[in-house]
Amino acid sequence: MNTFRVDQEFFLDPQRCIGCHACEMACAECETNGQFPMIHVDYVDRYYTPQTSVQICMHCEDPVCARVCPAVAIEKDEYGIVHSAKTDRCIACSNCVNACPFGVPRKIEPMDLMMKCNMCYDRTSAGKRPMCATVCPSGALFYGTREEMARRRPNSSPVNTFKFGKQTVKTRVNIMMPKGSTELVVDANG
Amino acid sequence: MATLPASVESLIARFGPSLNFPNPEGIAGRDEPDAVVKTHCCFCGMQCGIKLLVKHNRIVGFEPWEEFPFNEGRLCPKGVQRYLQNNHPDRLMTPLTRVPGRGFDPIGWDPAMERVVSEIQRIQSAHGNHAFAMLSGVSLTNEKSYLVGKFARVALKTRNLDYNGRLCMVSAGAGNKKAFGLDRGSNNYSDLAHAEVIMICGTNVSETFPTLTHWIWQARDNGGQLIVVDPRLTPIARTADLHLPVRPGRDSALYGAILHQLIKRDWLDHDFIANHTTDFDKACEAVADYDLDWAERITGIEKAKILRAAEMWGPARTSFLLHARGIEHHSKGVENVLGCINLVLATGRIGKPYCGYATITGQGNGQGGREHGHKCDQLPGNRDIENPEHRQYISQVWGIEEKDLPGKGLTAYELMEAIHRGEVKGLLSICFNPLVSLPNNTMIREALEKLEFYVAIDFFLNETARHADIILPGSLHEEEDGTVTTAEGRVTRIRKAIDPPGDARTDTSILLELAGRLGEGERFRFQTSEDIFNELRVASKGGTADYFGITYKKIEENMGVFWPCPSEDHPGTPRLWEDRKFRTPDGRAHFHGIAYRDPGEVTDAEYPVILTTGRVVSQYLSGSQTRRIGKLVRQYPEPLLEIHPALATRLGIRDRELVRVSTRRGAAEFPAQIVETIREDTVFIPYHWPGKKSANQLTSGHLDPISKIPEFKVCACKLEPTGKIAPSPDESKAWASA
Amino acid sequence: MFATLNLLALLSASLATLALVVSIYVGSRNLGNFDPALIAYLFGCIFACFGVVYRYTVWLQRPPTWRYFSRGWQLFFTGKAISYGWELTKHFVGNFLGQNFIRKRGKSVGYGHFLMAWGCLLAFAVTFPLVFGWIHFGLKPGGINTYEIYVFGFKTDEFPLHTWIAELIFNALNWSAILVIAGVMLMMRRRLTHAGQIAIQTFENDWLPLLLLLAISVTGIGISVDNRFMEGRAHQFMAITHAITVILFLIWMPFGKFFHIIQRPAQLGIAIYRRAADEGPQAVCPHTGEAFLSGMQLSDLKHVTAELGFDFTRRDGKSHLDYSPCGKRALLARAHLKARQKSGHLFG
Ligand code: SF4
Ligand code: SF4
Ligand code: SF4
Repeated sequence: MNTFRVDQEFFLDPQRCIGCHACEMACAECETNGQFPMIHVDYVDRYYTPQTSVQICMHCEDPVCARVCPAVAIEKDEYGIVHSAKTDRCIACSNCVNACPFGVPRKIEPMDLMMKCNMCYDRTSAGKRPMCATVCPSGALFYGTREEMARRRPNSSPVNTFKFGKQTVKTRVNIMMPKGSTELVVDANG
Repeated sequence: MATLPASVESLIARFGPSLNFPNPEGIAGRDEPDAVVKTHCCFCGMQCGIKLLVKHNRIVGFEPWEEFPFNEGRLCPKGVQRYLQNNHPDRLMTPLTRVPGRGFDPIGWDPAMERVVSEIQRIQSAHGNHAFAMLSGVSLTNEKSYLVGKFARVALKTRNLDYNGRLCMVSAGAGNKKAFGLDRGSNNYSDLAHAEVIMICGTNVSETFPTLTHWIWQARDNGGQLIVVDPRLTPIARTADLHLPVRPGRDSALYGAILHQLIKRDWLDHDFIANHTTDFDKACEAVADYDLDWAERITGIEKAKILRAAEMWGPARTSFLLHARGIEHHSKGVENVLGCINLVLATGRIGKPYCGYATITGQGNGQGGREHGHKCDQLPGNRDIENPEHRQYISQVWGIEEKDLPGKGLTAYELMEAIHRGEVKGLLSICFNPLVSLPNNTMIREALEKLEFYVAIDFFLNETARHADIILPGSLHEEEDGTVTTAEGRVTRIRKAIDPPGDARTDTSILLELAGRLGEGERFRFQTSEDIFNELRVASKGGTADYFGITYKKIEENMGVFWPCPSEDHPGTPRLWEDRKFRTPDGRAHFHGIAYRDPGEVTDAEYPVILTTGRVVSQYLSGSQTRRIGKLVRQYPEPLLEIHPALATRLGIRDRELVRVSTRRGAAEFPAQIVETIREDTVFIPYHWPGKKSANQLTSGHLDPISKIPEFKVCACKLEPTGKIAPSPDESKAWASA
Repeated sequence: MFATLNLLALLSASLATLALVVSIYVGSRNLGNFDPALIAYLFGCIFACFGVVYRYTVWLQRPPTWRYFSRGWQLFFTGKAISYGWELTKHFVGNFLGQNFIRKRGKSVGYGHFLMAWGCLLAFAVTFPLVFGWIHFGLKPGGINTYEIYVFGFKTDEFPLHTWIAELIFNALNWSAILVIAGVMLMMRRRLTHAGQIAIQTFENDWLPLLLLLAISVTGIGISVDNRFMEGRAHQFMAITHAITVILFLIWMPFGKFFHIIQRPAQLGIAIYRRAADEGPQAVCPHTGEAFLSGMQLSDLKHVTAELGFDFTRRDGKSHLDYSPCGKRALLARAHLKARQKSGHLFG
């Protein structure tokens, strides 16, 4: 029975991340992921800083990954969830891996298959919160209603518009920005 | 003779550590477990709530426990992977006996027990009761901790019982008792949420207590400011409003200097000081000369930053000060703690909402364990083993004569020294791996080799237990019922999820049988863990750590109860000191005059660099458990030497080059990790690894005179590049280093 | 897919269908060898041919697909493919014949799929030539113990009756049915017990194909069982249900899950592509300083994204796509930190 909670959303805030990798371990425990983590946690540049980037699939409105897939293996469902490549179709060309502006999909080499975050569909479709957002000890990953987020973070705004160079990408997942922000510009001098 | 019975390599091949990875296709039955058991993570003092999934008497996975109030489902990677310690190929499932040349052979429980008892009796009749010692650990529940304390004193009749908390919380405990007359964090962590300023001293919260981060970030969302004192720019320090990169071993100078500023600018709560404290004058006197120039010289922190810290801390209306091993693992651990407490008392911000102070207890049951049992100088309820009244009370609970209750014994490191000197000849250990966790471990190894008889109770064959004559397979955290007291002082329920596998038995049943065979059976008539807890309640009654009003039922209904809780209708005490009635004899909080002094070992021409040690997020303590969990090992596969580029350049060290690190006690090689996030005069090595990869080959055995904690956090070392670049970390076998 | 008529696809599908009809006509010696009992199957095949080619052509017209397709053949004709002969053969044997990559996804899916796939391929190899009248069997004139095989009307072989060879050949469809049933059982068990599968499976995509294969195989075996043990009493029923399920399969082929059987060989093209790309210059990520992708694929990808209407050109003239996935993630984290720092509050 699908009981996806459409009132709940994902909110990401990389500055809270402490690089603990709990999300990564928990993500791998998700039943759809076969012990492969779909989330990414990396040092941005360990030489200078312990800052980590943390990235889940942003579930783009117009997913580049799906558009560049030659095998039409990536589909977005009625809840806006962009799923892992269909196992029967994916031919493991890695187009999606390299085209996704957020660097999300992973090619699982021995399986010849692309897998990516599907927002823990096994859990969210049953009304539960995704693994990573449930365990994240820092709130870098949060899943809940917009109201709840506003209550917890009164001085930040959720933003779901990104600019990568000239390209604007809109996503289902939000990133928490200083209050009043409307977009996050990712560019040379951005 | 407790030399290794076979080569280290062959012991590793047979008993591990080996890595347990989850089945990629999922563990069968996870989706339809037989039971979902609400319990806690076993890997730190936060004691995060977690649900374990059980199928066919095996733990097959976990599920976040979102209702538990402290962590609401949040976990760190150790918690997430915790279920993989179960079902582990290395698990000891039958008693073993040492066979020189071969290693260990299985023997039955009966001959094993007989041998243990006869050796205890032989050693004790030849050399006296105290020649047989016991070492234990605070991964054990309150029930087991209490049982260990009683077992050692009543059944073994030895005064020489100590525990691995000696490497953990003793400085904080001693400091707290001196200042407040009671050893517990003053507040629960929800008081962090609206603190205007939070000062975190010597604690890498992001890696050692990750789930505490939530509360700190919450405070910052509410506008709170964060000060972090740490020689390294840790992830929690990265975004801090102020990072004070203190030179290791100079902490008390920093707190003295801040106090100096508070006094100078009159950021003091005079009412509180006058009405509820003593010895403020002594504290003032001690810091009279600690001006900013002096402080900058000693601590290596720019004076502007020290001043800024005082400006942030001084006038705030609410605040919370947290500290942990970073200031406690010192030959001045207690002084550092008292230096921090002075700052809290001077501003009077304690015992009120969002005004708090706490040490962050490190081990799973570091808090409860030390209150009820296995500390060489303490009796249940946080009682003093040398206080006649306390002795009288506990003797009566235990049904023995006061004169038969042994006195204060040696502390863990001193105990190993006594073994080394040949004064202590027999050892029973449970839940302690001193060969990895104590400093100067070459000495520890020699000591172990000198033991006449050594029996270890454990679930894995840890590095120390390889030296044992008899090994008794005990139980994991999830195999026995009990309670644990979290770093907040919240008593929580550990639920048994499965039975010990094979011939392994619960720790409790092993200790009870040994007590029986030692002829003290009638003092150990417990059927269940709850029976033990009920005796503990009585034993703690009237002590500072009073559990009398806490019952299993009450814990379950309230998801934990904060001690002190003197009667069954008492709700527990989440926040201490609201009544301003401190537990010191005069009922006041005590300031202490803390004059700065140097650490036990300072740098010189021969050993010019400061070495400090610590943890990484994926490992726990000596790693007996976490070095066996595949993904945790992969996350940080080998200990690295963190070094600043300026120092590296000066010494000609390249990234990932193997560097020979030597101190007066030993030498070892570690790959360099060149980062700007550490002080230039300091290098850092995490300590979870054994053998040649053990940082504790290098650390010093200087002890704090009061708490007897070893000075893990500072010693002097020399660095030499070897010219060899370390192989890729993926090839490292450090987790099972010989 | 068929919502708007695609002229090119219509054309190629029509041509392919015409070609099939002609080859059936010729291959069956002007329908001389055609078995009229199989007429329904024949129409199913012809429809499937039209549908499959139509969809394949539509598919090829997607910019990314077309790029790979044309690159693949380009490499093939420049002889590249031949120089990779050995590796390609290995790839073909391991991943095509052996389906190793599926087994790596999990044992049960690996073996289940292997059994189903080989069952189906075997069945195709028998069924299509028979239905098209390209192959037929005949008793050797002058005896009752030897059978002859005719391919396109030419006699190619003969074999004695009542030997294991004969059993093998005559029962080929039964063997394939047994393989398929075993495979379907493994797959179904997985779909019933594996929580991850349960969460994302759909009836149409995951259960229907299995049920259909099961129905085809069971009724197929049913015909033989009926012949042997029930004196053909249920022949009518078995034959009709079998025909219906097979024809459903054929008609559904271009639309549903089974289309992947047609798509899968593209993986071989990818192997050629990848191999050639590995030999050329590699793109180095400005962030990590490491090679992360072949220059060829990166430039193809830039073209494809441009064709699709995306423009990742940055102010410094580089493309966002010049960064590796790890580099892209770092860029985002840095941009976020910068924005936060600019506001003066990392939290709030
Ligand atoms: S974030 Fe990447 S993987 Fe996710 S939908 Fe967008 S393009 Fe696809
Ligand atoms: S769990 Fe949270 S804090 Fe830890 S790495 Fe993941 S996002 Fe960062
Ligand atoms: S180790 Fe500590 S922080 Fe991590 S999950 Fe366990 S109890 Fe929580």
